[in-house]
Parts: sequence; C-alpha cells; structure tokens
Amino acid sequence: MTANSSEPPSRTEATTRADDSPLVSVQNLEKYFFENDSLLDRLLGSDPVAVRAVDGVSFDVYRGETLGLVGESGCGKSTTGETLLRLQEPTGGRVEFDGRNIYDLGRSKLNAFRRDAQVVFQDPFSSLDPRMTVGSIVTQPLEIHDVGTKADREDRARDLLERVGLSADQLDRYPHEFSGGQRQRIGIARALALEPEFLVLDEPTSALDVSVQAQVLNLLDDLQDEFDLTYLLISHDLSVIRHVCDRVAVMYLGELAEVGPVETLFEDPKHPYTRALLESVPRASTDERDRDRETLSGDVPSPRDPPSGCRFRTRCPQVIPPADVEDELEQSTYRQIMNLRERIEAREITLEEVGVEGSGRSENDAGEATLAVGEDGLDESEIPAFVETMKDRLLADELPAGHDEIVTDALAELARRNWDGAADRLREEYESVCERVDPALEESGDARESGYRRRHPVACHLYGVGADPTSETQIPSPSSNADAE
Amino acid sequence: MSDEELLRIEGLCTRFFTENGQVNAVENLDLTIDEGEVMGIVGESGSGKSVTALSLIDLVESPGRITDGRIWFRAPDIADELIESGADDEVTDGDFVDLRKLSEEQRRSLRGSRFSTIFQDPMSSFNPSITVGEQIAEAVEVQRRARANPRSLDAKAQRYGLGDYVLSTVLPSKKYVTGASRDRAVELLELVGIPDPVERADEYPHEYSGGMLQRAMIAQALAGEPEVLVADEPTTALDVTIQAQILDLLSKLQAETGMTILLITHNLGVIARMCDRVGVMYAGEIVERGTLEDVFDHPVHPYTRGLLGSVPDLEGAGGRLQPIPGNVPSLLDHEMPDRCYFADRCPKAMDECLEHPPAFDVEGSEYHTTKCYLATTEYTEEKALPDGYFDEAGRAADVGEEPSETETGIGTGTDSETETETEADSVQSDGGEPR
Amino acid sequence: MISDRIRRSVRSELHSSRLAQVGLALVVVIVLMATLAPFIVPHHPEAQQVGTGDTEDRTNLPPIGFSTEHIQTTPDGQTEIVREGSLEHPMGTNTRGQDVFSRFVYGARVSLLVGLLGAGIATVLGVPYGLAAGYFGGRTDDALMRGADVMLAFPSLVLAIALVGVFRDSGFHTTGLPDPFVYAARHDILGWVIPRSDHVASMPSSVTFPVTVTLVVALVNWVWFARVARGEAISIRQQEYVKAAKSIGASHLTILRQHVLPNSLTPIIVLATIQVAAIILLESALSYLGFSGTTLTWGQDIARGQSDQRSQWWIATMPGLGIVFAVIGVNLIGDWLRDALDPSIEGEGGV
Repeated sequence: MTANSSEPPSRTEATTRADDSPLVSVQNLEKYFFENDSLLDRLLGSDPVAVRAVDGVSFDVYRGETLGLVGESGCGKSTTGETLLRLQEPTGGRVEFDGRNIYDLGRSKLNAFRRDAQVVFQDPFSSLDPRMTVGSIVTQPLEIHDVGTKADREDRARDLLERVGLSADQLDRYPHEFSGGQRQRIGIARALALEPEFLVLDEPTSALDVSVQAQVLNLLDDLQDEFDLTYLLISHDLSVIRHVCDRVAVMYLGELAEVGPVETLFEDPKHPYTRALLESVPRASTDERDRDRETLSGDVPSPRDPPSGCRFRTRCPQVIPPADVEDELEQSTYRQIMNLRERIEAREITLEEVGVEGSGRSENDAGEATLAVGEDGLDESEIPAFVETMKDRLLADELPAGHDEIVTDALAELARRNWDGAADRLREEYESVCERVDPALEESGDARESGYRRRHPVACHLYGVGADPTSETQIPSPSSNADAE
Repeated sequence: MSDEELLRIEGLCTRFFTENGQVNAVENLDLTIDEGEVMGIVGESGSGKSVTALSLIDLVESPGRITDGRIWFRAPDIADELIESGADDEVTDGDFVDLRKLSEEQRRSLRGSRFSTIFQDPMSSFNPSITVGEQIAEAVEVQRRARANPRSLDAKAQRYGLGDYVLSTVLPSKKYVTGASRDRAVELLELVGIPDPVERADEYPHEYSGGMLQRAMIAQALAGEPEVLVADEPTTALDVTIQAQILDLLSKLQAETGMTILLITHNLGVIARMCDRVGVMYAGEIVERGTLEDVFDHPVHPYTRGLLGSVPDLEGAGGRLQPIPGNVPSLLDHEMPDRCYFADRCPKAMDECLEHPPAFDVEGSEYHTTKCYLATTEYTEEKALPDGYFDEAGRAADVGEEPSETETGIGTGTDSETETETEADSVQSDGGEPR
Repeated sequence: MISDRIRRSVRSELHSSRLAQVGLALVVVIVLMATLAPFIVPHHPEAQQVGTGDTEDRTNLPPIGFSTEHIQTTPDGQTEIVREGSLEHPMGTNTRGQDVFSRFVYGARVSLLVGLLGAGIATVLGVPYGLAAGYFGGRTDDALMRGADVMLAFPSLVLAIALVGVFRDSGFHTTGLPDPFVYAARHDILGWVIPRSDHVASMPSSVTFPVTVTLVVALVNWVWFARVARGEAISIRQQEYVKAAKSIGASHLTILRQHVLPNSLTPIIVLATIQVAAIILLESALSYLGFSGTTLTWGQDIARGQSDQRSQWWIATMPGLGIVFAVIGVNLIGDWLRDALDPSIEGEGGV
C-alpha cells in the first residue's frame, strides 16, 4: 500500500514532539436535543423533553496525539465530535481550539477554524455526494476557501488522491464507481485538502471489512506522521482504539467514565464500565471459548431520563451499598433489592394478577387462586401470601433475617397500593452513594501532578476521594474486586 | 456433541441473474454439519456467506436461484415416509433427504420445526403493529397446528386463508392464536432472559431495545423447537456488552437443547467464542475449513492468515496491521477467471494458482481442508508470479478498478436482505427479465 | 448533473415499457400539433360560416365518415337534409360553422402553454420554499410549512375562481402571444422557408394566453412541490456529505445549491411531469366554467358543445378527447420517469 515506512512508526516519538498545551480543550460540553418542541406542541402546551446526548464532558486533545473516544451506540460520542467542530451548536460549555473558544468566533475566524479542523465520517456511502465527481468532491473545500486557481486545485486533488492510495486519473469518476474502502479514502482526501491540524475521525472504519479496515488504519497512521496531524478517533471498536490511540476517553450515557493512557486503561481499567466493556469483546483466538467473563446485565438506560447519581449504577456490578449493609449482603443480592426498588419507583409491577403459585415457572396451575390488588389494596389477611409470592417472583436469593424483614415491610406497603411508602422504606435502608452523587471525573491519589500523558482520572465512587463527604461509606478496595475476576 | 452428521451440503451453487450479468454468489460449496455442534462461517461482505444461509433455508429470492447442488438433511421420519410413497435414490439416501428435491409445501413445513433462522436486524423482523408476545405466540401456534397433524409433511394444517382471517377478526373464538400458545410465548420469553415476560409480552417491538428484540427473535425461532438454528450475523447490529449477553444466551440454549447452530458472521471474535468448527468463505466458496484450532492456530490459506492478521489485537498494541491488499473481487461470472480467486491479492501466488484449486486435506487434522495449493506444495521464490502480474491482466480486461460492490449488488453490507433487494431493484429498473 | 447511469436507465425503461412509448408518442404528437398549428389546420379556427352574407352555411357538419339527417322546415314545406362529413372539415364543424379540427389543434396550444408554464412557475415557487423549510428545519420549517398548509386547505377550484374574479377585469387577465410563423409569413421574412405561406398568413396572428389562469394554477399547485422538496431536503440534510460540507465551511446557500438541490431533483422532475397533467385538467375545468378569458381552449369548446351533445356530439367530444390524450400522455411520461429514475437514485446513493 504505502511504501512510506516499513517500520512501525513509534508513537512515543510523535508525542514527545508535541508541547504540553492542548490543541483542543473541551470544557463541560453539553448538547441536549429537545423533543416535542414543534409549533403544534407549544400551542398544545406540552413541555419539550430534553435528550441529554452529551452532558458535561471535559477532556483535552494534545498536539500530535490520537485521543480515542469510545463508547456504545447512543452514548453521545458522535454528537461530541460534531459539537466540538461546531457542526451543531452546543447547549452549554466551551471548546477551545488553540486557546480560543470556537463558539465565540466571528465569521472570518470561524472560517479559519474550519480550515484547521476537519472530519472523516463513518458511512462511506452517505459521506460523498453521489452527484459530484471525485474531483469536485476533493476540490470543494479549496473552492469554498478560494485557494488557488482551478488548475492548482485540480493538481492538488490529484496529489491528494495519490497520497491516499488512489490513482490520479480517477478524478472524474463518480463515488458509486468505488468500493467502500476506496470511498473512505476519498473522504480522507477531502478532509486533508485544506491541510488541517486536527481531524475528527468519526467511526472511520466501522462500515468496512476487516481487511480493508486494516488498510485504512495504516493509511491514517502514515498520514498522521506525514502531516503532523492530531486525531480524535471516535469508535465503538475497542481493538481499533487500542491499536491506534495514545490516550482513551470512555464515554457512557453522555458522560465520561474514565480517561487514561491507552496501555494503562486497557491493562488496568478502573471504572467498572471500562472493565465490563473490555471483557465483553470476543477475542479472535482459540483461548476465547474458555475465557471467563462477566457480562453486564440489562440495557443502556434512556438518555431522556438518565439515572440519578452515577449513570452506570443501574448496570454496575460494583454498586457501593451503605456501610451497614455491605457486610451482610452479597453484591448480587443487593442488586436484586435495588432492582426491586427501581421497579417499585417506576410502578412497573403488575398488581392485578399475582399468581400465588409463583413465577409461572411451576406447572401446577391446579386451581390456585390469584390475588388481585384492587384500588384499596389487599385485605390484611392476604398480605403474607402476597408478600411471599412477590418475593418468589422478584428475588432469586434468600435474604438474611434483618433484610428479609425490611423487604417484607416494603412489599406489604405495596399490597396496600402504597407505592411511595414501599419505595421509601427500601430507599431508607439501601440507598447507595452511587445514586445520590454523580461522581466527578477525578484523578485519584498522587498521579495528579504527573504530565497529561500519564493522567488517569475516573468518574467512580470506588476511587472517589471525598466524593461525598457526608457518606460514611467505606470504599472497598478496587484491587480485591479485580482479583475476584 | 455427537459426531453424527445432520446436514451435508454438496456442490451448492447459488446464482443471481442481474442486468450486469450472472453473479456467482455461492460456488460449488461443500459443507457438513454434525448434530449438536456450532458451525461457523466467516467471511467479508460479498463472500456469499449470507446467501449460503438463505440457500440452506430456501429463502433465496429472485433474481437469485439455487442452480445446482444437494442439501442432504438427516430426517429418518421424512425419509421413511418418502420411501413408502415410492421416492427413489435421488431424493433419499438412508436417513437423509435432499431438501431441494422436496416439494415447496414439504420444504415449508420444515421451516420452524426443523430449521429456524435469526437475522441481523431484529427491528425489521418484527411487525411493528403487533405485540411481541402475539407474534411469538403465532409462531408457536403454527408449529402446534403442524404437529397436531399426524402427517408431518402435510402442510395443510398450517394453511390460514383469507376467510379464516376475516372470521378471526369478527369472532373472538375463531382467533388463530390460542391461549396455550400465548402461555408458551411467555415461557419462551422467559427462557431467553427477558425480565417480566408477562408484561413484556404485551409490548410492541418499538418498546424493546435492540438487545431485547434480538432475544425475542431467538424466542420466536425456538418456538418450533428446531433441530438447526441458522444465525445470520445475530450480533452485528448490537453493542459489545449486549453482544456478549446474546452470545452467552445462545451458548446456554445450545447446551440445554442440544440444537445445532450454523453461525454466520464477519466477526472472528464471535467465531472464536462460539464455534466448534469453522469455514472461511471467500468469493462464494469455502477456502478453508476445520476445527477452530485448525483454522485459527494453523491456517494454511493465505486469505485466512490475512484475515487473522488484519484484526487489531485487543491485548497488545502490536506493530502495523497486516492488511490484505486490494478489494473484494467481483462475483460476476464473466469476470471470474479460472484460477484461484484469491491469487490477485495473495502474497504467495504461484504458477499453480492460475488453475482453480480443488479442496486439499491438510495433514495433522481429520477435518482440516483448504482450497489452496500451499497445502501440498511448498512456496518458493522461483515459482512466484511476477509482481503486478494480475494488475496487467486485470487492466487488459477492464480498465481501472472494479466497482465491485454497487455494480454487482452483492456485498454492499453484511445484511443479506439489502443484497437481494438491490438485486431486485436493479433488475426492475431495467424493467425486463433477468438476462 | 445527469449521469450516464440515469440516462441508461431512462432509455432502457423506455425500451421495455410499452406504456412509456405510448405516452411519449402522444405527447410528441400533441406538442408538434400545438407548435405547428398554423401549418396543420385547414381553416382559421375562429372563422364562422353560418350562411349569412356571402358564406355558405356550414354549421353542424359531422366528422368525416359520419352523416346526420334532420328535417328542416322551410316555407316550401319540410325537406330532409342529409349532411355528410367531408375531408374539408375532418372533425366536423360547430354551431357557428367553425372547423372543430382547427379549434382542436389551436386548443392544444393553450392547454400545453398553461400546463408547462403553470408547472414551471409552481416549481420555481415551491422548490426553494420547500428546500429552505426542510434544510433549516425547526422553527423555520414549522413557520413555512404551516403557511403552505393553509394554502392546501383551500379547495383549489374555489381559490382559482376567487382569484380569477379579482383579476378578470384587469388588462392583466389575458395577453396575446404573437405567433412567429404567422408573423414571418405576413411580413415575408424567410418566406421561402415557410410552406403555404399564404395559408399561414391567414391564420390568427396571436394566441390569447390566459395569464391569470396560469398564475392561479401555479398558486394552487406549488404547495405540492414545496412538500416534496421539503421531504427530500430533510433526508439530504442528514446525509454525511452535507455535514462534511458544513465542516469545510460551506455556506448554507452553497450547500443548498451544490448538494441539496441536485440530489432532490429526481422526484421533483417526476412530480412536475405529473403536475403538468393535473394543471391541464384544472385549466380545462376553469375554461369550461368560463374563467379563462380566451375563447379558443378545449374546456371552452366542451362547454359550448355541451348543449348540443345529443345531436352534435362531436363538438364537445373532440376537445374532450384532446384533454384525455394530453393528460394520459403526460401521466405516462411521468410514470416512465418515476420508474426509470427512482431505483437509480438508490443505486447511485449506494444502498
């Protein structure tokens, strides 16, 4: 492909060249989308619903490095990328490029910024206008910024095409004449036309086959060295991130969970989410079948109504219980009680038909009555039966005596149709610091003074130094948990 | 895992007849699948892996057609029945029956009860206006009615005409789906790990997340307690954490029911996680197959090696990736040369490679075969084809690069549905019959 | 702008679709007829031959191949008059002795002009409006499209009648468009190119073109263009190449001109074709009701012939057939373009 460097380019070399001020500094960036916000909705008086795609994200991208932004679909990583290029207007926060807030830029300054920061998109099919020739696609940026004469621009386009591994005589072809990988190269050529300093790569290889993906990743690597580029690589593919990036930021539901150097983060992930993410990726090796892994349960919650406190707590395998509960309950049992409470709070439990025989798993439906909780709740005499049924259905484990009592109390409230009472009873006893306080992205311990390359902040109460001063929670040692895996 | 063969595919050819010419999506494919194993087929887009799956379950749509080959399926009951009714050796072979020789109705009756499929995109596999529970119950009902009929090959019991439909909308007692099927649907939902199955059964597909819908689709596929589950890119549309859940679920179900799974994916990690044996597809044929260890640890075919080398390693940064140069080849019949299809991208192309290789057994393993001369011949510098050999040949045949993907309509995505639709469209735009 | 692929697809669709061929043939014939009217028609379309003065009574002649009989009461008693169609008046004559065929041919001019210009004006009004609404989205879209919806809410015929009522007494209502062939024949310009120049010179020197009606049909129909354009713009807005254009600093106008407009053209072309047919119908309806201000249109002729439908069926039927053929022809062409262009958009956009 590119005969430029036979040796793997050293990444450390690239980073030592850079100075220590960030090229891009994202501070508390917020981007909400509003639903139900049309004229009609306003006339009818319905309130807009905010979808918090990006909710207070801060990170820096330093000159010459590749920062990876990784997360699952819907976590807001692409929106972050587009907002920090001002392709969308932010709801809040600022983004400094070369020390200047890009949201304050006037027309001409903004134009200058557009020359310096470019983007490569995911979809090689929709990112090129089907009705423009490759030549006009690649020269379009030059035309808009009025660079050179028409002949100059075409020469430049030829150079660029050759540089990205296409042949210069393909200038007057249309995008549909190219394969996915080739189109992605055209997209890269367009992004490079104005000689930018900074490139946002938004899932540049996820639509490509692995063999072609490898070609494009190698090309991006070469170009970075050749043109001194700084990359923000947005991807859901952890192995791509691992391969390409110097530092990584892990995003979950609009917030950053963890930021750190690639080696540290992959070998010693701190945030339970990062850990789960890494464990979930199936490795392409024969050891994979026997590799034990703990998968996350449940789905990503909706960004319309994100969980209070730590966004990850609804799926986290390491939610911090209150101190007095911690010793008595297993994490899994605690999780079950948490889930029970969540469902009570969301009023998701059907009370109309409570089969006494239990979960439906048992086959004996020999005429056993069902309990129906009416408007006024159950008769007092039926409450114990109701509670037992519910416990059977909703909790897999037996609870220790003290906790059994609390849960029984709460379920009895439920039998009286007192949803709030039931929820309060459980919250009193089991509320976790994770749901009260949203952990800040903070450096733990002594690493705070080290250079940016070694910083490894985490947004998790397991590492939070004084995350919540009122909490008496003893923070469990993360290492013991790591050992357990 | 018992070592008894359940499926034996011999010389399968599936072609698409498009306005640009004949596309050989699957070319002379041989494959055996043992009962109770997980067989994986891995390949890039346009390699024909999805069409293989569709051919197996007889869902290839126009302008595509299975043009040749046999699909032997072990089903002693059907074989007996066929022999009784005077079928000859063409149709049955011991306990095996050739699915392609069965009548349309007989084949249809096998779907769901013997074969089930899960597809990549669960969202488009469910009807958005009917609750998930109802749709699964329907699948249960179809199978229940089929089974109620003693003659399993007679699909009449499954028939549900317009009259029945009108009746069912008017008279509640004539509803197609019975209460028992509904209960079974809830059980199935619970089996695939959907929390609160009773409540969730009454929800509509859009109220489910992607992972949940994929679970529901698996539940639907399990309705007929199939012997073979064909999973076509079951996790491609999902996030890694959800993918891990679904793979665990499939493993669990497979262990519990002992069903055979044919797993089709482009993700080598998924293959490594799930499969006992693997076939690697390239340009419509299986270029290498063997046990997981054979293929992953001792690959012979340069394409397999290239594929494995292209995947960035999660465990260590490593050096540069080793991509396979070039693009996926065109599958147009008139552009497929009579040589090893991979030779033009192969780092070890030799003189022999100008002839299409047969399947060679690889030493050291019982099941390991490859369609590459490297299995028998040592690669030496003298035999190597000169650099740029295929560039010149290719340029002579067709100036410039092949827009292989859109032009042939094959391989624009991993989704087989899109592929066939594109095909159909391109033919319609011509307005005529496939030439 | 039009790629080879589209050209190929249009051609192959024409090749394989009988209906498209019929449509194209119909439209070509009608267009030729309208353009070359002075050469084709045997008589001046307005010339009356009612039997007064020194002209012969040639009213109510049947079309060629037909004959009528009727009893005429004269002072000498009753005579039975048999009239036979003749080659001189192939479609017969009307109650004023005007040649129906000549009127048929000239009527095509008005219908086609109004159809094409009306659709053109509607496109020019509707497309930018809709593109802007769809591209900018949000509040802009809300405001613009609610306005358009108000237009849609009026019944189109009522709106047309109201507008015609306002303008009908102004000088603006109709205008005469000079006929270049007749002008050339009369002034002996290029006389040698024009065959039968004496005949041509005797034809009407101008066509009365109903300006108000054209504007009215455009006003009634532009909303459809706006809606289609908006839909296209909304889907194109989300394409990554539009984002890419933004990221290189292209202005909204550039994006609209370079990306949004070209990529939304295909459905607009299809719509415009179909709208031509709809507008021809609307124009006929308006002139049938007497609002067009010209006397030489198909709709007007139908209205005139209507009362004699039983005895002189051809007077209303011939222009009626004209409308039917024009509308069918244009619609078939619309279908052809739709079938030919739509799949190729997908092909080009790359599935």
